[in-house]
Amino acid sequence: MDLDDLKQTWQEQDSALDANLRLRTFARHAGNVRQTDTAGRRLVRGLWIEVILSFVATLLFGSFLADHILEPRFLVPAAMLQLAAVLSIATGVRQLVAAKMRDDSEPVVAVQKRLESLRVERLRATKWTFLVAPLLWTPLLIVGLKGLWGLDAWAAFPPAYLPASLLFGLAMIPLGLWLARRFADRLACSPLLQRLARDLAGRNLNAALASLASLAEFEREEAVGSN
Amino acid sequence: MTPTPPQERFQILLDPHKKILWKVASSYCKSAADRQDLVQEIAVQLWRSFDRYDARLRFSTWMYRIALNVAISFYRSESRRIRHTVPAEESILEIAEIAAEPSSPEINPNRELLHRFIAKLDPLDRALVLLYLEGTPYDTIAQILGISETNVGTKIGRIKQKLRREAANAA
Repeated sequence: MDLDDLKQTWQEQDSALDANLRLRTFARHAGNVRQTDTAGRRLVRGLWIEVILSFVATLLFGSFLADHILEPRFLVPAAMLQLAAVLSIATGVRQLVAAKMRDDSEPVVAVQKRLESLRVERLRATKWTFLVAPLLWTPLLIVGLKGLWGLDAWAAFPPAYLPASLLFGLAMIPLGLWLARRFADRLACSPLLQRLARDLAGRNLNAALASLASLAEFEREEAVGSN
Repeated sequence: MTPTPPQERFQILLDPHKKILWKVASSYCKSAADRQDLVQEIAVQLWRSFDRYDARLRFSTWMYRIALNVAISFYRSESRRIRHTVPAEESILEIAEIAAEPSSPEINPNRELLHRFIAKLDPLDRALVLLYLEGTPYDTIAQILGISETNVGTKIGRIKQKLRREAANAA
């Protein structure tokens, strides 16, 4: 059996397809089709929401920072939150630009490499966001209480509470990673949770990196002659 | 003279190549439902990209690039689905699915073998084999995939060897 024998078989399907495929009247539906939701559109929409929310957060934290510039106990946590918000904007904008530049009419290998790189970047951003999040609970508590209700968390809670809360957040990082690795393959009942667990455990990232490597391998010129 | 509306121009260009939609979709999907979804997703992407179509490129080459890019992305990600977002009555390509299905393996065992062989390939080799089976010249395959013509020849040779080995092992 040779690929050329299969080529003949493949081409025999053509006549059957000719008889059975029919383009519908397209013009009537063209407008609707342009509006159709697709994965690419959903990604861009999600990124816009992420960037806008982060931008609003930088405005709020920026205003808080300006109000408490001479009070290190509020300045430091607000600066931590501001840094996280700015980093979130930067990664969101980078991904948005990459997603907007997607052009499927470019050669397949180039497009797939760009898509996989974007996926790697998103997976890294998700992983780091969830890893750093427990560390931001305490600063958010301090800034939130002061900003929303004028309460001083340093005075409102026992002296050990805030450092303990920070340490608890720190301990949550390895615990979260362990849980993600342990349950990544056991959450089939919830695809969303499973995807998140696989993202945190680094499995989706490893798969995306392997995919990038296979694309590079495919692109590479091979020394063996053709047959 | 009134210029042809873009929808009509698109349909005129698409019509002679509509089989590409079905062939690409059937190479990347096992179930009829997924195949139908993928055909629609490719058609949507073709229409959205039509504004940027550069007439210096053959329409079929442009179409293959988009179809394969959408199909590979669809294949790689379980979540990338537009099921239920394109109502059936707005489908672009109507497929008489049953009649277009390959005949039973008893009648043509080569078809069964062909589909099994394609299903075993990774997404990029699958694209390469699909284009080869279509009789696409190597330089056009290279243009569609974005690799060199020599590389196309080498990879086709390697896939041929693999198929021969598999056929020998099966015999």
